[in-house]
Amino acid sequence: MKHLILLSFLAVVISPALASAGEDGGKILRAQCASCHDLKGPAPQTIRELWKRDAPDLFYAGNKFRREWLVQWLQKPIRIRPAGVNYLRNINSTPPSNQNTKKTGRKYDVLWGSVTKPLKHVKLSRAKAEAVADALMGLKPHYSLVAGVKLDASKKVSLDQGEVLIDKVYGCLSCHFIEPGYGGYTGSELYTAGKRLQPEFMLSYIKRPKNWDPKIWMPNGNVKPDDLQKIVNYLILLSKEDFNASN
Amino acid sequence: MRLIKCCFTIVALMFLASPGLHAEEAYLNYKSYCMQCHGMHGKGDGVNVPAMNILPRDHSDNKYMMSRTNTEIYKVIKFGGPAINKSVKMPAWGDTFTDEEITQLVGHIRSLCCEKELVRGVNFR
Repeated sequence: MKHLILLSFLAVVISPALASAGEDGGKILRAQCASCHDLKGPAPQTIRELWKRDAPDLFYAGNKFRREWLVQWLQKPIRIRPAGVNYLRNINSTPPSNQNTKKTGRKYDVLWGSVTKPLKHVKLSRAKAEAVADALMGLKPHYSLVAGVKLDASKKVSLDQGEVLIDKVYGCLSCHFIEPGYGGYTGSELYTAGKRLQPEFMLSYIKRPKNWDPKIWMPNGNVKPDDLQKIVNYLILLSKEDFNASN
Repeated sequence: MRLIKCCFTIVALMFLASPGLHAEEAYLNYKSYCMQCHGMHGKGDGVNVPAMNILPRDHSDNKYMMSRTNTEIYKVIKFGGPAINKSVKMPAWGDTFTDEEITQLVGHIRSLCCEKELVRGVNFR
């Protein structure tokens, strides 16, 4: 019995390593990802450089992502930013004919082009995804930005309290989805943030986005330290919701 | 003598060209940061608006914008909506822009709302 437990434990620990054995994640990254993603840094320092960005920077992926999410996403890539990485390329001031303007009497800028279709991205096999995730998790140049940052799990909030913080207190909802189809388009979706991102990254990024991405269009919300902990706890709680169940 | 003339011309050109350059930078900043809510033409009809319960300001609304001073517009960009008793949906951009960039943005917003007044030389304070 003891042997059986030991064997199962070893299988769980070793299997991811075996799965990626034989694949060179770094090589795949350089061959298939480097043409769109920045793997070396630094982040764009001017607004003109920022608008040239075709895909999210990955040179600090190891400071940012959760490995298990990367493995899953690389096998089944879906869009995270409804308006794309560079929203300016994907909006149009001409409303489509089906836009309902009777209700409010107003017309809005609309999403346009490739973002209205499913994301086109390389799909990897499980073994390759594991190898690439390993290679990405090794990219950690921003250790100093997360050093000493720690999530305080005692600062818990309910989903309702969290939504009040995100919407009424700091206004994040204006640019981010907090459930599919609910929120602004130009930011990344928040209802998967807890699954995608490391808590330390979220704490550090929300505190001052400019430290990670100097010209990004996410402002420094001057979030109070207590609220910062609550928001990240809320995002983790929110990511555990099953949004498909209600759809 | 020719060298002095040349230098003088270059300095004069720099003075003449700088407002144009500032205007371009301000337009680029407006396009990159403000457009997502205030819209491609500044009419308060940005792509994010349908999700908002408070609508962004229409910067082409001459009547309203003339009731606001440049100091107030500067303050709301730098410190956010609550600084002039407006919504938190307008975030503080003080950490994103330098003071000079905010001043240039105020100028750009004035060009959207109040071109006639700019030509007349109205003091927006």
